[in-house]
Amino acid sequence: MAFDERAADHLLLMREEHGNVAPALVSKGEEIGDVRLDIPYQLITILETIYSWVPTGKIAVITRRCDEKALTELTKRGYVDEKRMVKIGLACSKEQIARCRCSDPVPSKVDFGEPNTPAPRDDLSDKLAQMSVEDRMKFWVRQFRKCNKCFACTHNCPVCFCDDCVLEERTFVAEQGIPPGLSFHMIRSYHLIDKCVECGECERSCPGEIPLLTLRKMLAKDIKEVYGFVPGDPKTVSPLNTTLEGEPMEDECDEC
Amino acid sequence: MSVKHVLTTCPYCGTGCNFFLQVADGRLVGVVPCKTDEISLGRLCIKGYSAHSFVQHPDRLTHPMIRKSGQLRQVTWDEAMDRIVGEVTRIIEKYGPDSVVVLASAKCTNEENYLIQKMARAAIGTNNVDHCARLCHASTVTGLLYSFGSGAMTNTTPEFDNAECILVTGSNTLEAHPIVGARMLRALDKGAKIIVVDPRESPLSRISHISLHQRPGTDIAWINGMIKIILDEGLANEEFIKHRTSAFDELKEAVNEYTPEYVEATTGIPKEKLVEAARVYAKSDKAMIAYAMGITQHSNGTDVVKAIANLAMVTGHIGRESTGVNPLRGQCNVQGACDAGGLPNLYPGYQRVDDQEARMKFQKAWDTKLPEKPGLTLTSAMNEAMAGKVKAMIIFGENFMLSDPDLGHVEEAIKKLEFIAVSDIFLSETAQKAHVVLPAACYAEKDGTFTSTDRAIRVLRKAVDPPGEARSDWTIACDLGKRLGSHGFDFSSPAEVMAEMASVTPQYGGIDFERIDKQVLRWPCPTKEHHGTRILHAQKFTRGLGAFAPVRHAPPKEVPSEEYPFILTTGRNLFQYHTGTMTRRSPKLEREAPEPYVEINKSDAKSLNIADGERVSVSSRRGSIALKARVTDRIIPGSIFIPFHYAEAAANRLTNAALDPISNIPELKACAAKIEKA
Amino acid sequence: MTGFKPTILAFCCNWCSYAGADLAGVGRLQMPPNVHVIRVMCSASVKPEYVLKALSQGIDGVLVLGCHIGDCHYMTGNHRTAKRMPLVQRVLKETGIDDRRLKLDWVSAAEGEKFQKVITEFVQEVQGLGPNPLREVKF
Repeated sequence: MAFDERAADHLLLMREEHGNVAPALVSKGEEIGDVRLDIPYQLITILETIYSWVPTGKIAVITRRCDEKALTELTKRGYVDEKRMVKIGLACSKEQIARCRCSDPVPSKVDFGEPNTPAPRDDLSDKLAQMSVEDRMKFWVRQFRKCNKCFACTHNCPVCFCDDCVLEERTFVAEQGIPPGLSFHMIRSYHLIDKCVECGECERSCPGEIPLLTLRKMLAKDIKEVYGFVPGDPKTVSPLNTTLEGEPMEDECDEC
Repeated sequence: MSVKHVLTTCPYCGTGCNFFLQVADGRLVGVVPCKTDEISLGRLCIKGYSAHSFVQHPDRLTHPMIRKSGQLRQVTWDEAMDRIVGEVTRIIEKYGPDSVVVLASAKCTNEENYLIQKMARAAIGTNNVDHCARLCHASTVTGLLYSFGSGAMTNTTPEFDNAECILVTGSNTLEAHPIVGARMLRALDKGAKIIVVDPRESPLSRISHISLHQRPGTDIAWINGMIKIILDEGLANEEFIKHRTSAFDELKEAVNEYTPEYVEATTGIPKEKLVEAARVYAKSDKAMIAYAMGITQHSNGTDVVKAIANLAMVTGHIGRESTGVNPLRGQCNVQGACDAGGLPNLYPGYQRVDDQEARMKFQKAWDTKLPEKPGLTLTSAMNEAMAGKVKAMIIFGENFMLSDPDLGHVEEAIKKLEFIAVSDIFLSETAQKAHVVLPAACYAEKDGTFTSTDRAIRVLRKAVDPPGEARSDWTIACDLGKRLGSHGFDFSSPAEVMAEMASVTPQYGGIDFERIDKQVLRWPCPTKEHHGTRILHAQKFTRGLGAFAPVRHAPPKEVPSEEYPFILTTGRNLFQYHTGTMTRRSPKLEREAPEPYVEINKSDAKSLNIADGERVSVSSRRGSIALKARVTDRIIPGSIFIPFHYAEAAANRLTNAALDPISNIPELKACAAKIEKA
Repeated sequence: MTGFKPTILAFCCNWCSYAGADLAGVGRLQMPPNVHVIRVMCSASVKPEYVLKALSQGIDGVLVLGCHIGDCHYMTGNHRTAKRMPLVQRVLKETGIDDRRLKLDWVSAAEGEKFQKVITEFVQEVQGLGPNPLREVKF
């Protein structure tokens, strides 16, 4: 990996530091160090945090397929200028694909890694879809009792970009302690339904190991069924931002 | 334009999670969890995600200050240090070195605590050095020192994953140690049985298998009860008892009267549930005990800890993978502050101050004569100040004006002091009482090490510069040491300080900054070649044979009366931390839990006609506070709970400074109170 | 499920459905009890958060009534509602709440009888579903 490729001024990647794998923004002239591609960080989320502090220059980011889609959702909404972004495509390993139960693992251009086949299914989604409504509720109540409001899911999510998160308001999440009730998780699920790129970062950073990615996948299936919409496509607009005739409306998120 | 991700350790609880501080052009802009961190596994709690918020807060102390005509006024470092040295020297000359008390800090690094205790002992000439462990796990140190010979967590945080049974008592783990709690959840998902014994219902107890609610202050009764059941049902580990322990007969006799019926009458725990819990714990192959303040903060705290040790030894659940006695230490570096000798009776490495051999060793290492008499603890120092024996206090990062029991007494006591100097990052309630205030650097602004609750030495790496003229405590301690005329304070980096500390502290012998930069080492790590120790007491206990202690139930020093009918117990909530100096200045945390409250049981509220959210006043023999009532069934009838984070309704105004005679830990978990409509 | 009277929230938009509710009232049309009508300016101001919070706290049913498509006082407000509610129902379904506990319908200012019919039918349906199981779930 070098700066000369694709004329980038900054590289956002993962590298070895102090015996660990760390995210890093490396600028031209700085040492790149030992790049690590086996422990991917959610670099798009990190990009969002530091973006306003990198005022000029092209930023090259290591992007998996999900990261590509996340970047698209951000550029669609004007949070990131796509002319400044350069994507370095990383194809996920078989283990990573299995861990994510990923149905779309190959980036549009593969610069690193070997392309692998998608995971055939998410077993838990299938199991839940076949359960009765009551049993499904019992499952999720049991899971969400482990939640201790760390906000890792929102914090690490690349498409969670609200500065003032509604989940922090007593109006919507009434519980004063932990665990927060179902409203927290349902509101989050709704907000993500037209944005989630199924990167799985929420599930991986949850201390309670709640199968959040499964819930996302089930809802991704739903929005596809109801509106034929899949997030991450630069040419499409969220059905929540168009009228019944398909005319554009104000972005729903700006309504907040 | 510079963007850095600096790997460092969380300044909140003792779990010791590592994460990256995101720094952009010298400003802290966020936190990213470290996916390869062995302890946190890339997860954090809400406080960890906000760990950057308070650092560059406008309230940070930036300049030294001296009180002039009643007001704190900005001065130069030289002026401030001259004043401290002048006053301390004067007071030593007039009243002797033991009239000075130095408070080290569980928020300071190992290197800083090492220097602070060295300064107290070598430069001032007193062993009066202590820190807030006195308030939380002092009874763990004394209790386990007796039972095992070492007062630290016997196993490691990652081992909770693979436990088959976890007995959690006196710990609201999902709120106070969320990432340790997360490990327990992993075990739960793998089929482990979790037993929670706590007067309050907690997020963990609600998903546990067996949840027992005992009256506050009756722990020895249920623990002895469990031991008796285990002995009577033939579930004891006879091999282990025979070869690894001593004094078993005394224990057997002591627990004999704790029948399930007696335990039920004393504690309120139904006897069938006690039997079930005892059987599950004893029969599991890998059973761990995790405990915290509910066990330690009692007037017989040392005995309660010994009882826990008894339970582990009688079943042989110690010295192996995923077993053991695991005190969850509260502060980010309370373990390290103890290890580094921030204790009045112990040098670094738990070597006794009154042991001549140990003292000779330190006298040689530090090239100076050292005082012989063990010093005052933090809690007895307040009594001595009241009696006029203590005249000066030099305090590093401790806010006892909110964290000590019986605040009224503390206020009166420190009025008698002739001189108080405080080094802190914010103008805390304690700093507001000081004659000299020094601005200190916080965790994000210096290099150093913290030691987590499971004995891992964690690394702090400087991410941003301290504000204004603030300095790190290690430079302050060195400066003070030098100005007080002592040699042995010439260090140019924390790495050098650790090198010296490692040379005199056997457990840290193999620790140096180069080694710990890339690997996790847990003490004991006696040499540079040693890879650290995960599990303690594997072949034998630190003291040789484990010592059973025949302890008996004793009620709290203050029990409910007609005038004060409730048992008041105090504790924490997830969103705030200790005296709130950091969390109340972090918007996302303050927002979640902005107000003080008292938890009262639904039936009690009904009989007193108190509604949820109503303003009430809670009083004890020592004081009174006004706050909102939270009517809940989370707490058993007859008890009420107040978190101690809120200065505007300080729970410690009410608590009882009844001290455990061996460890001097105060009985923060049980006193008598009344609650009235405001 | 005799004796169970469901607690219902009915969000009605000011210009159409609330006026329709008024009309039903003026006409003394029989209404089931325990229906709490909440007037909003437009059905689009019924953010999904409110609906999800209500149901997570144990409300048995939520009814959202707006203007007929094409009649919205704010032009496209009801389009937004029409797009949102089916997805809110999916969120309910996947989490384990019967999605029939949320209903969206259009009632104009002149449709007093339709208002009564929609409410009565919805209450009956929710009554058949029984109490919201989340009432008993202590988090």
